Amino acid sequence: MALGLRWSGSGAFFATEIRVQFHEWLAIVTGTLTPGALIVFVAILAADLLPVTLIGALVYSMFLIGQRVLNEAAYIRIDHKLNELYHASPLSPEGYFVGIAGGMLVAYLPPSLVVLGILELIHPLGLVAGLTLAVCLLAVWAVSSTIGYVVSTLFKDMKTIWPYSALLTNLFGILPPVFYPLSKVPIEWRSLVLIVPTSAAAILVNAAAGLEPVTRQEGTVAAVALAAEAVILFVFGIYWARRMARER
Amino acid sequence: MTEEALLARDVRKVYRSRKGLGVEALRGVSLSIRRGERVALLGRNGAGKTTFLRIASTLLIPTSGRIHAFGFDVVDEPERVRPLIAVVPQEGKPFFHLTPREQVYCYLRARGFARDTARARTEEALAKMGLEEVGDRLSVTLSGGQRQRAMVATVMATEAPLMFLDEPTIGLDPFARRAVWDMLRELTQKGSTVLLTTHYLDEAEALSERLYIVEEGRVLFEGTAENAKRQIGGTLRVSIEDGGHQRNLFQAFGQLVEEGNALYVITGPERIHEIMDVALRNRLSATVGPVTLEEAFLTIVGRSIDAE
Repeated sequence: MALGLRWSGSGAFFATEIRVQFHEWLAIVTGTLTPGALIVFVAILAADLLPVTLIGALVYSMFLIGQRVLNEAAYIRIDHKLNELYHASPLSPEGYFVGIAGGMLVAYLPPSLVVLGILELIHPLGLVAGLTLAVCLLAVWAVSSTIGYVVSTLFKDMKTIWPYSALLTNLFGILPPVFYPLSKVPIEWRSLVLIVPTSAAAILVNAAAGLEPVTRQEGTVAAVALAAEAVILFVFGIYWARRMARER
Repeated sequence: MTEEALLARDVRKVYRSRKGLGVEALRGVSLSIRRGERVALLGRNGAGKTTFLRIASTLLIPTSGRIHAFGFDVVDEPERVRPLIAVVPQEGKPFFHLTPREQVYCYLRARGFARDTARARTEEALAKMGLEEVGDRLSVTLSGGQRQRAMVATVMATEAPLMFLDEPTIGLDPFARRAVWDMLRELTQKGSTVLLTTHYLDEAEALSERLYIVEEGRVLFEGTAENAKRQIGGTLRVSIEDGGHQRNLFQAFGQLVEEGNALYVITGPERIHEIMDVALRNRLSATVGPVTLEEAFLTIVGRSIDAE
């Protein structure tokens, strides 16, 4: 058991969360509106950038899962007190955190699969690009889920949390070069966007797909930053979940 | 495993704010609950009941003191305690986007029950809580009482050795409350131990074998409901309408409890004639009845407030 991790009950809790989300299918559909609108805009205004935007939509959707985690974890804790029901049970705290994060990942995957299908039609990905995409999306999921879960535990009122959800989405999903290529970013800002997890993921996938070349140094910085952020944050998420299972 | 299902010794909890100010929620609570016992924790709002329940159920760390559940320390060994307990949180609600059937089943599965057992227990719990007809409706469409029943069914279905129920019957109609009582009695007959908080004193009296009354984080009383009634100085209660303004007339006859304009005199049968006589002479309407747990509670807690 690495890090003394305990996963008792986590599979069932993960399945519970998927079931809850599928009952809220409209939220899954509406989650596609922002990336969908951006894809339409780009298709009309700059069709040659469409593959970049589609990859951006995949990264954005993955980051959005973190916001779903934030809302769900806060809602079931503040409004329903279900965290107490589960924490006072054999389900481990890490199983609770990963159950919510994993449940959101699976439930919100179908729209991303549609986007992936469109991308395959327009700009088929090779094996390396496909693997890069999968690994980068997983890393973004780990980062955003942890941020979402940790933020969800910091407040006592849902209304206080909503602005943070919007702030994080715009700060990580819209502002950095996720939907647009790195080359559009002024040179003095590039080193910063390389370490932002969402733009790092988009930059790496775009490069692997042959859409936007990056220098070896830029690629290394983005890859190391994303990997380090994903691992460090996810481990912190597990630590935080254990801590939050018991208030002080 | 030890004889006691729950043993608490001198439990204290101070909530510290960011400014460093502390609110003392528990000031040395000690209690013990035997296996298979049903015990009620009574107290006013803010008395410390929920804080104690949350500490005992591993959800909150005490400032000092020890609680053992079946011999396991709830602070140091939460992993060993959690499989043995189940909690109905105060104001808890089921997943709104699950049906009661899914809610109970999924929770049992997350606790490690096999599919068949989880399915059988789910059906049993739904039937006992009268939720069969709405078992396949999303909880978001249910009434508040039905949702509460779904929460109680979720926890009861676990048949955990030790159950903590924080106001489990709040918002339930009298029939549903009695269904909960029946289920709790059945569970304790099977060997589970129950610690519940409630503001319904008739419920505490009907359900619990022993009760603890807490006030401002301290245990004021421990014993049976009958003991509590006996402790307040009489077995009969004379209710005097508008007697609140005439306390001095009745002070000599026993313990006085004021509630709005009404005055209750807790006394013995030997003083009834005298009290009725005084009431009639002063044109006050008076009725006699047995002392209830509510009067005992008001008196015990009232004494403590007066003393402070």
